[in-house]
Amino acid sequence: MTSTTSRRAQHSVVPARSGSRTRSRWDRFGLPSLLLAPLLAVILGVVGYPIVRTVWLSFHEGEYLMTGAFNGVDNYTEIFGDPYFLAALLRTTVFAVVCVVTTLLISLAIALVLDAGSWTARIVTVVVLLPWAMPRVASGIIWKWMFNDQYGIANWLLVSLGFDSFRGYAWFNDGFASLVAITIAVVWHSVPFIAISMLAGLRATRGEVLEAARVDGAGFYQQLIRVRLPMMKPLLTILGVMSTIFAYQSFDHFLVMTTPPGGPSHSTEVLSLLTWLQAFTVLDQGVAAAMAVVTFVLLAGITAVYVRLSKEGT
Amino acid sequence: MTRRLVVYPAMVLICVVSLFPFFWMIVTSLKPDTEIFTVSPQFIPHEPILSRYTELFSGAIPRQFLNSLLVAGATTVVTGLIALLAGYALARFNVPMKRYLLIVILSIQMLPQTVLVIPLFVVLRNTDLLGTYQGLVLSHLALTVGLATYMLRSFFLDIPVSLEESAMVDGASRMKAVRLVVFPLVWPGLAASSIYGFITSWNELMFSATYMQQSSRETLPVALQQFFSSYYSDWGGVMAASVIFTIPVVVFFLLVQRRLMQGMVAGAVKG
Repeated sequence: MTSTTSRRAQHSVVPARSGSRTRSRWDRFGLPSLLLAPLLAVILGVVGYPIVRTVWLSFHEGEYLMTGAFNGVDNYTEIFGDPYFLAALLRTTVFAVVCVVTTLLISLAIALVLDAGSWTARIVTVVVLLPWAMPRVASGIIWKWMFNDQYGIANWLLVSLGFDSFRGYAWFNDGFASLVAITIAVVWHSVPFIAISMLAGLRATRGEVLEAARVDGAGFYQQLIRVRLPMMKPLLTILGVMSTIFAYQSFDHFLVMTTPPGGPSHSTEVLSLLTWLQAFTVLDQGVAAAMAVVTFVLLAGITAVYVRLSKEGT
Repeated sequence: MTRRLVVYPAMVLICVVSLFPFFWMIVTSLKPDTEIFTVSPQFIPHEPILSRYTELFSGAIPRQFLNSLLVAGATTVVTGLIALLAGYALARFNVPMKRYLLIVILSIQMLPQTVLVIPLFVVLRNTDLLGTYQGLVLSHLALTVGLATYMLRSFFLDIPVSLEESAMVDGASRMKAVRLVVFPLVWPGLAASSIYGFITSWNELMFSATYMQQSSRETLPVALQQFFSSYYSDWGGVMAASVIFTIPVVVFFLLVQRRLMQGMVAGAVKG
């Protein structure tokens, strides 16, 4: 199709010019709408409609994946009276805060190391990004194996370092220890993207301002805290939002690493897992939709706070 | 001096932590059970075996591999096309309400998947697409299209408009100017958004586990998750399956990593 149009255009340069008015209108409205149409169709069809539908479902009964009668805010009163949901809400929040703080700090450290290194940094950069490419399901399984009680490499390492109480320690028999292991696996997976983005941000701060600070005698930490990090504030905000949202959405690692999912005895249930189980195992989509809406509102709120904070500073 | 004492050891540590899980997965998959279940770990297999791989390849894995490849491939191509068109439009035209459209595109990326999973199930069931490749691809588009469009837009913005304009003044149609002048330059952006789309789709578990319940249509993440929950203590076999699952993405990633980083950086720094 492209070739015929262009060939025709080649022969009709002059007539096309004389009709420039119709052409410009086409250029201004017709063409862009045509180009945007597929994107808009996808956004409306598989994103917009589902959101509206989820909100609508959350006000209806919905057992066995059939939509029942309107029941007002019953689903919401049900989940906010459900100790498991409230526990999952709190657990997910704590998990997300820990994940975000560790991810950002480790990423910053890695970015600084890579920024300071010379040619070797280029190869190390690829190595750093590699864990991001590993499927989450696979990485969950591998970390679970490394945290195996009898034969896991983590316990072997801890025992060899002198922590004898970890001999045969069963990480997944207890909610807190499971969450520690899962946090490590999730952070390992989420650091690469953030670290590489921060590296790009750090590189962009090199220049006159930093040079001036150096000439004025600012040390490494002063340069970092007074000049470079403030310059990176917009980027840091985005990365903060992104890692918060990723952490709140963690699903694969939890499904793979805990048996039964969310166990032992509900002690590792997080929002996404609980919502999914509610919808497709308990088969109550009304209640599940209410949980999804709560997550959505929570994340939207967090994003708004981040954006507000980053604007206030500048 | 500090560089040698701090930076290089730190780099070694970073590499070890990044790579060890990969190494351990491969080594475990090659060791016979007697070498896997030892009190102090064996880092090099003494008698490496390949029987786990041959066993897996005679089972359902080739089929599942193909399913995943089909879904991820289709998602990548469709995402690339949509994002290429929309990215160009958003970079070059004064689209009404462009600001809001860009915000919407970026916030799609931030949506919790649980908001989409239930209604999409209903939509796919009502349109008879439940358990089909097309249905799964459609659901994956929701996850990929936003960031891909944003990435490509920033690549288009980097290409001077004057290049196209001069081609158009020379008599080329917009189509031709784009095809001959702009497209070759935006190629790295397309590569970056493609790998992003491929990895997202290849790794996606929640939609796949919900919509592809027929065993012949299962994709790898679902198959691996189920294999893991039923053969819990067969660590060697599970590791071999994980290796098969991981290799394609890692290879694809290594092939285009430079482009990908360019794209990610463009997305992150300008976002």
